[in-house]
Parts: sequence; C-alpha cells; structure tokens
Amino acid sequence: MATIKEYLSTDHSRCDELFANMEDAVANDITTSQEAYGEFAQNTERHFQMEERVMFLEFEIKTGMTQGPTAMMRQEHTQMRSLISDMKIAIENKNKDKFFGNSETLMILMQQHNMKEEQMLYTMAQQHLSAESDRIVDMMDSMVVEK
Amino acid sequence: MDLNGLSADQAPPISAPLRFFLTAPLFGLLAGFLILFADAGVLNSRYSLESIAVTHAITIGFLGFVMLGALTQMLPVLAGVRVPHIGLVSKISHAFLVLGTLFMIFGLLGSYSKIILSASVFLGIGFLSMIIAMLIALKSVSNITASVRAIITSLVFAFVIVLIGIYLLSSYGIGKFSDFHSLLANVHSVWAIFGFAGVLIIGVSFHILPMFYVAPRFKKFCKTKVVWLITIGLILWLILNLYEFYPVFAKIWIANFFWAFATTVWMKLDKRRRPVTDVTIFYWRTAAVFMTLGTFSWAINDFYDDEFISMVSILIGGGFVLSIMIGMLYKIVPFLVWFHLNSKGYMSIPTMNDMINKNLARVQFWLYLVSLIGFMFSYYTPEILPIFASTFILSMLILEYNIISPVLVYMKIIKTKPEFDMSAFNISVEGIE
Repeated sequence: MATIKEYLSTDHSRCDELFANMEDAVANDITTSQEAYGEFAQNTERHFQMEERVMFLEFEIKTGMTQGPTAMMRQEHTQMRSLISDMKIAIENKNKDKFFGNSETLMILMQQHNMKEEQMLYTMAQQHLSAESDRIVDMMDSMVVEK
Repeated sequence: MDLNGLSADQAPPISAPLRFFLTAPLFGLLAGFLILFADAGVLNSRYSLESIAVTHAITIGFLGFVMLGALTQMLPVLAGVRVPHIGLVSKISHAFLVLGTLFMIFGLLGSYSKIILSASVFLGIGFLSMIIAMLIALKSVSNITASVRAIITSLVFAFVIVLIGIYLLSSYGIGKFSDFHSLLANVHSVWAIFGFAGVLIIGVSFHILPMFYVAPRFKKFCKTKVVWLITIGLILWLILNLYEFYPVFAKIWIANFFWAFATTVWMKLDKRRRPVTDVTIFYWRTAAVFMTLGTFSWAINDFYDDEFISMVSILIGGGFVLSIMIGMLYKIVPFLVWFHLNSKGYMSIPTMNDMINKNLARVQFWLYLVSLIGFMFSYYTPEILPIFASTFILSMLILEYNIISPVLVYMKIIKTKPEFDMSAFNISVEGIE
C-alpha cells in the first residue's frame, strides 16, 4: 500500500491533470466547460478534506501541534477555495479573462502549497505516523466528501 | 525539520524580493545608455573598461539583483528554510550592491582609483552578506532535493566568483595586474554564467516548468546528475586552462549539457498541458534558442582566438540568462502582490492577469528581442548600434513600468481596510523541530 506521502503526492498530480483539462476546456469553449470545472473542483475539495478531516487531525493528535503547520495549510486551503469559487463565477459569466486571471493565480498558489506539503509536511507526517500509515491511507481513500 | 516556509507570515516580507526586482530594470536602462553613448569598436574589445562597465551593469545590476531577489522568495518554498533576519540582510545587501555597482561602473569609466576600490568593498559586502546568510540557512535542510542541491552548488560558485571579482576589481583600483589576471577573469566570467546563473536556472527549472505550465516533469537523470556533470566540467575546464591543455574539450562537455537543457526546455514547453501562451513562454523559448546558439559558439570560439566573445556574451548573457530573468519577473511580481494581499485578508484583489497589461508586455518582449538581434548585427555594422541601444532602453523602460504596476496596486490596496481579519491565523511556528 502507498505511504501517506505517496498517496497524497499522487493525488496532487491527479488534481494538476484535472486543472489542465479544465483550462483546456475553457480555452476551447467556456460555455461547455462546466463539467471539466466540476471534476477539478470536486476532486480538489476531496483532497483538501482528506487532509483536513483525516491526515491533519491524526498529525495534530500525534504531535500535539494544533496551531502549527497544519493550521497554515488550512489557511492556504481557504485561499484556494476562494479562487476556485471565483473561477466558477467567471465560467457562469462566460468571462475568459477573469477565469484565466484566477486560474493563473491558483496554479502558482497551488504549486507552492503542494511543494511545501510534499517536501516538508508529508515527510514529517510520514515520520510521525509511519505505524498508522495504512490505516490513515484507508480512511482517506474511503472518505465521503462533506458538502 | 524547519517549517518556517509554511506560511505567509514566515515568508520573507514582500519588500525583500521586490527591492531587488524593481532595481534590476533600472540597471538595464543604465546599460542601455552606456551602450548608446559608447564607441562600438571599444565595446567589442572584451577587456576595455567600457565593456567591463556595460557587462557588469547587466550581470550584477540586472541578473544578480533578480537572482538574489528570487532566492529570498524561493528558499522558503523550495528548501523549506528561511534566511535569518532576511528583511535586514536584504536591505543591507541591496544598498551595498546598488552603491557598489554604480561605483564600479563610474569608477571604471572615469578611472577613479578610490571609487573602484570602494566598489570592490561594497560589492563584496553586498554579495557575501546574502550568499553566506543563504548558505547558513541551507545547512539546516534535511530533505535535499535536486533543486536544493543545485541552489547550494550555484551559491558556492557565486561565493568563489565574488571573491575573484573583488580581487580583479581591486587590481583596476590599484593599477597593478598579476600574471594570473586574464586567467582569473576567465574563471570569473565562465563560472558566473555557467556555474552561478546556469546551474541556478537549471535547478529551479526542475520545479518551475512543471509548476507554472504543467509541463512533464524532468527525468531522474536530469535532476540527479546534470548539476554534478556541469560542475565536473567547470572544474575540468579550470584544470585544463591552468595547464593550457585543450580546454576546448571541457567547453564542449559543458556546452553539451546546456544544449541538452535548452532542447529539453523547448520540448517540455511543447508538451505542456496548459494552453495559455503568455509572454513568459516567449521568453523561455527565446532563452532555449539563444542558449543553443550561444553554448556552441562559446565552445568553438577557442578556434577563432576568442574573436567572437562579444557575440557569445550577447547570446548567452542576454539571450539566455536575461530572457529567463525577465520572464520570471512577469510571473513572480504579480503573484507576490496577490499572495501578500490575500494573506493579509484582502479579498477584492485584481487577478494576476489584470495587474500587467498583456499587450505592453508583448511590446516589451519584441523590443527586447529586436535589440538582442540588433546587437549581434552591430558587431559587423557598428553604426547601427545606437538604434538597438535605443530599442533596448525602451524595452527596459516598459519592463520597469510593467513590474511597478502590480506594486502600485499593492500600495493602493494596502492603505485600505482588509475585508477579513487574518490575525487569528498569525501563528508562530518557532521552536518546531
């Protein structure tokens, strides 16, 4: 079974792919891009929740660091959620410029965020939670996304 | 593990990178004016004082400033470390570098001995304070990735070339030149371009290209071996030079890897998943083409008794390094503005695309490209040089305007009240290991 780091890093790549699909769809025809947007938004939200409701919680319980790095990652999730919802409004208004303005910002923010998680937080989580790694990955895999 | 890079609060203050970024095009402008009023024939001679002044207005004033500014921002993200007291260090370093570069240029042009000697001290303090602070910060990195390894390698090269640079400049100050002067000048320039700038660009590209353009990731061989192979090439080149034994072999060795890198960049951009084509893509592609031409011209220049060294400098220093630096400015500056405002609780921020006028960015790019090509033709037809010095000046003016625009947006918004109070998120992570 994949480790926590492998599992979540692979999910980052999947979200990147869905992001590119969404931008492709908007570039081709913004009026028919809702499906690609939905795929990206839902999967990214799922990723955020896997972290916030499972991995971050386990990490905080194990290390006692509730106000540390996980709090900062949650803050960046909030920033990204806001951009993702702005992109939805841009699609509804058929405003390509606005959409790509937001998607450009989201892309850099998301990649910075992913890099920090993959290089620091996941590595740290893997060290602290190695004994429970399989259980945590199972929980993330079977998690139902909350609306 | 150091988690200081994990939040906006722990990221360097926006002034640290911006100070360097906003100064860079001003030195580009100065270089343009120096070219405009210089004698083209004198500029073609590598060791003329005018050439050295113009070259360093670009290499220190533009390239050095952008690289240092970018490193203050990238270290927390790529390496997870924060340079201690980065706000203060960047202020000191920036002030000394501005003074040092100006003193160097005007000291050399006017042959003012004391000004030149002061320049070597100022530049030494300016560069070394930053380089040493960064190397100390990088000592605590536990997860050494390919990019971190490249950054460390490039900073070690930077450290050496700065020491050599101080020595070389002091020689002009006191008017005495050792027997090793031209050898050291060679090492200084080759290690600066390929060791400091080249290795840094390659190392950062491992992340930047997949990150900004969703381009395919670099192969493991590239990430783990190329920086070492280039470093070996650069050391081998030094040894062969010392013994005057066919250094061209080491040059071809180094040229091959940079050519391979340039080709890889081109191919990765072709395969990128993002459909957006902005001016930064133009800059990357320009860099790839110029590097391919430049790297082999540099290698075979030995067979022509170094006759084409000015051409090589334009191709590599201008076409490759400068292009990538300008392209990076167009991405980083608006993002930093957005990121810092958003982290302070401002929600109604213009998007990155709204901060810089796209058409003006394109105009700037074409003026810049025309200038570079014009500079190369001026080698054969010196009388056309002022035309292209003028287009270069114009492109630097527009560049400064383009990157100041987002900063003005920042300054305007920061005076208003944020929509959300983000102080609840201001959590210190000091002491976490």
